[in-house]
Amino acid sequence: MASVEIQNVQKHYGSFHALNDINLSVEEGEFVVMVGPSGCGKSTLLKTIAGLETVTSGQLLIKGRDVTRLEPGDRGIAMVFQSYALYPHMTVAENMGFGLRMAGRPKTQIDAAVARAAKILRLEEQLDKKPKQMSGGQRQRVAIGRAITRSPDVFLFDEPLSNLDAALRTQMRVELSTLHAELGSTMIYVTHDQVEAMTMASRIVVLNRGRIEQVGTPLDLYSNPANLFVAGFLGAPRMNFVTGKVVEAQGRSARIVCAGGLGVALDDLVQPAAIGEAVTIGIRPEKLRINDAGSAIAFGGQVRLTEYLGRETILYVDAGDLVTTGSDSGTGAFTAQIGEIRPFQTAAPVSIAFDARDAYLFAADGRTISSPKPVARL
Amino acid sequence: MYPRPIPEDSPWRRTAYAAMVALVLILWLVPLMAVMVTSLRSFEEVMAGNYWGWPKSFNFVENYTAVFTQTAMARYFLNSLIITLPSVIGVLILSTLTGYVLSRYRFRGANLMFALFVGGNFLPAQIMMIPVRDLMVSIGLYDTYYALIVFHIAFQTGFATLFMRNFIAALPDELFQAARAEGASPGQTLVHVVLPLIRPALAALAILTFTFVWNDYFWAIVLTQSDAVKPVTAGLSNLRGEWVSAWNLVAAATIMVAIPPVVMFFLMQRHFIAGLTVGAVKG
Amino acid sequence: MFILPGALLFGIVIILASLQTVWVSFFDWDGVGEMQWVGLSNYVQLFDDAQFYVSLKNNLIWLGMFMLAPPLGLALALLLNQPIGGMRIMKSLFFVPLVLASVTVGVVFTWVYDPSFGLLSLIFGYFGATAPALLSDEHFVTFAVVAAALWPQIAFCLVLFLAGLNNLSEDLIGAGRVDGARGWPMLWHVVLPQLREVSFIALAVTVIGALRSFDMVAVMTSGGPFGSSTVLAYQMYEQSIFSYRFGYGAAIATVLFVIMAVFIAWYLRTLLKPEQENA
Repeated sequence: MASVEIQNVQKHYGSFHALNDINLSVEEGEFVVMVGPSGCGKSTLLKTIAGLETVTSGQLLIKGRDVTRLEPGDRGIAMVFQSYALYPHMTVAENMGFGLRMAGRPKTQIDAAVARAAKILRLEEQLDKKPKQMSGGQRQRVAIGRAITRSPDVFLFDEPLSNLDAALRTQMRVELSTLHAELGSTMIYVTHDQVEAMTMASRIVVLNRGRIEQVGTPLDLYSNPANLFVAGFLGAPRMNFVTGKVVEAQGRSARIVCAGGLGVALDDLVQPAAIGEAVTIGIRPEKLRINDAGSAIAFGGQVRLTEYLGRETILYVDAGDLVTTGSDSGTGAFTAQIGEIRPFQTAAPVSIAFDARDAYLFAADGRTISSPKPVARL
Repeated sequence: MYPRPIPEDSPWRRTAYAAMVALVLILWLVPLMAVMVTSLRSFEEVMAGNYWGWPKSFNFVENYTAVFTQTAMARYFLNSLIITLPSVIGVLILSTLTGYVLSRYRFRGANLMFALFVGGNFLPAQIMMIPVRDLMVSIGLYDTYYALIVFHIAFQTGFATLFMRNFIAALPDELFQAARAEGASPGQTLVHVVLPLIRPALAALAILTFTFVWNDYFWAIVLTQSDAVKPVTAGLSNLRGEWVSAWNLVAAATIMVAIPPVVMFFLMQRHFIAGLTVGAVKG
Repeated sequence: MFILPGALLFGIVIILASLQTVWVSFFDWDGVGEMQWVGLSNYVQLFDDAQFYVSLKNNLIWLGMFMLAPPLGLALALLLNQPIGGMRIMKSLFFVPLVLASVTVGVVFTWVYDPSFGLLSLIFGYFGATAPALLSDEHFVTFAVVAAALWPQIAFCLVLFLAGLNNLSEDLIGAGRVDGARGWPMLWHVVLPQLREVSFIALAVTVIGALRSFDMVAVMTSGGPFGSSTVLAYQMYEQSIFSYRFGYGAAIATVLFVIMAVFIAWYLRTLLKPEQENA
C-alpha cells in the first residue's frame, strides 16, 4: 500500500492554476524530494498534503485513508518549516511535546516521546532552553524533533535547510539522510536546491508551473531527462543548449545543422524527426573537450573567462554565431567543465569538441528524442 | 490567519457572516447615528420627543446654518483650526529633530532623556495643570491661542519623539554610514537622507497629532476663557448648557466637532493605524 | 544641537511643571496671592477628606472596568479578521469612536442615558419598565460614565489587536494546526503568545486612560451628583479652579503622580529591557 497517494489534485487561486492535475504515489519508507524553480507549486503541493491548503479538486490518501477534508492534525503527518516555526514562548521540551499534549496524551507518555526524540537528535542538554537561546542549526533540530515526537506516518519538510549557512547545510543534509535510514519513515521534502535533491532523494519529483515534469531516481533524471526543462534544471553547471534545424531525416537517424554551419548527426532517436523541425541539442559541460583533436564534432571559439575550482576548471567560451540558450553565464558562451586544473589565457582561441553519443536531442515541444548511450547505471 | 478564513467556496456562509458583522456594527454605532439623524430633525420634532425614530422632515440646511449663525460655533471652529495646525507643524519639526538625535547619536544621558520623553508623555495631563496655568498667566499667554499652541507642542513632542526615534532607528545603519562616507554633515544627512525616508512617519504623526490636539478638552477649559480663543470642544460643552432643549442644534454642533478628525481618519486611515500601532507590533 | 528646542520646551513645560506641582502641594495658595508654606498639612487634610476616598474608589472602578477593553477589543478583532468583501469598510467604521473627541462621546452618551428620551429609556420602555436615571443616581453614575468611556477605548484595543493579528506568523499557525491545535487551544497556546507585545501596549494604554480620566466626568456629570462620580483628576481641577485651593489641588495631583509613577516605572522597565538585552 502506498504511503501517500495524490490523485488528480488541482489547486486554483482564482484564474491562477497553482497545481495542475497532480498524480503521485509515494511508497512506504521512500524519501521523495520535490524540486523546481520558485513559484512552481512545490510548496503548495506540500501544504496540500499537510492540509494547510485545501485542494480545489482531487483526492489525497495517506496509508489508504482519504484525508482530503481532514485537519492537518488528524492526517498523521508532521511538518518541518523553513522558518522552523518553533513556539517562541515554549521550551524545547514543550515545543516537541505540544502535538501529543494537544492530542490529550498522558504526561509520562509525552515525556518519554520527547526524551526519545531528544536522544536521536542529541538535544538532551537543551530541553529546558527557549528557541531564542539556540543557534539556527539547533533550532532546526528541535523542529525535526517536534516532528519525530509525533511519530507520524509521513514527514513533510518545507525547504528546511535554506535558512542555514553552507557548512551547516551540508552537515544537516547528512544528518537528515542518516535519520531517514534510522527511522525508515516516509519523507517528502521540498527544496529548490538540486544538490539536496540529488544527494538525499530516493526519488525526485521535478515540478514546473504547477505540473509534474518527471519523476525518477536522481541518476535516472540526470541521465535520462524526459524533456528540456528537466535536462536544464538538474546539473551544475547547466547543460549547454544549441538550437538547430533538421536537414536530413531517415528512419531513426537525423542530421541537424546549427548556426555557424555546425552539423551533428544522431541516430537511435525514440521517434522519427521531420525535415525542417526546430530542435535543440544538449551537451553537458563535462562532456565538452577543449583542444582535443580527433573528435567527431568540433568548432572554434575564444576563451571569455576561466574559473579554477581547485579540482576542476570551468571555462566559458564564445563561439561566434554558435550560441547557447539559457546558459549559466547569462551569455551565449559555452560552459565546459574540465576535471583538472588547466590554465587558459582570456581571449585565447580554443577548439571545442564533443562526441555525438554524448549529446541529447530535444524536439520542438521540448520532449527528449535522443539521449546519450550507454547510460550509466548504479 | 487566525481565525481560519471562511472558505471561498461557501459564499452563503460568507454572506451570513458579513451580515452578522454588519448587525454588530450597527449596534456599535447606534448612538452616533442617532445624533447624526437628530442633527437633521426640526425643532418641533425634537420638542415632540422624536429622538430615535426616522425624522419626519430633513432640516439639514436650516440646522447647520443655525449652528453657524445663531451660535459661536463658527468662531470655535476657526479657533480650533488656528490652534491645531501650528501645533501639528511645531510637533513635526521638534520631534524630527529630537527623534533623529536620540536614534542616531549615543551620548551621556540619552537614555535618561528618552525615558523622560516617554514617561512624561504618559503623565496624566492634569498633574501639571497648576504650574502650567500659572506659567501661562505669568508670561501673559493665558487665554490666548499661544497658550494652547505652546502647551500642545510641548506635550505632544513627548509621544512624537518616541515615534520618530523608533522610526528613524529602524532605518538601515548603512544609509547613515554611506552619507557620512560621502561627507554629509548631520544637518545635510537629516535634510537629504532622513526627511525623504520618513515621509510616511510624518504623515502618520501629523494625523495623530491633529486628532489629539483637536479633541483636547481639558487644556481648552484650563487655558482659555473667552469665546474669542476657545476651541470647539470647550465650545460644544458650553453650547450644551445654553441650548438645553434645542437638541437638533446641539446634535449638529456635535457632528461638526466630530467631522474633521473623522474625515482626516478616513483620508489617511493607513497612516493613522500605522501610527497608533507603531512599536506595538514591530517592537 | 538639534535636540535643544524640543528638549527645552518639553523639559520646562512638562517635566518641570510636573515637579513643581509637588512643590506647590506644600503651600497654601489661592492661585493669585502669596504662597504660604504649610508643610504636610494639605496631605493631612486630604487623607481626612471623604471626597478623596470617593475619587480614589472611582478611579479604581475606572481601572477595573477599563480592564474589559482589551479582551473586548480582542474579541471584536477576532470577529473582524476575515477576508470577506466589505470587511475593510466595516473595520474602518468600527474604528470611528476612537477619533471622536471625548466631549463628543460624552454628549452622545449623555443622550443615550437620558431618562426621558434616551435610547436606554426607550429600551426599558419596550419591556414596560422605567429606565433608571443613571447619571443622577450616585450608585450607578460612575459605571455609566465608564461604560461610555469604554466605547473609544475598545475601539483603540481593536485597532491594536487587528494589527497584531495581521502580523501573526503564518508558519506558527501552520505548525499549531499540524500539532492538532484548533479553536480555543490554538488561541491560547499559539495566537495569544504572539500577541504578547500588542496586549502589553493595549493594557498599558488602558491603565493610563483609566488614571487620566477627566473629560468624560467633566462633560457628563461634573463630578455629580453630590460629588459621587469624581475622580482624582477631576477633584483636583475642581479644588483648584473653582475653590481656589491650588495647594490642596496640587496635593491631589501629587498623589495621582505617585500612582502613575509606579506604573510608568514598571512600563518603562518592561519596554527598555528587550533593547538592553539586544545591546
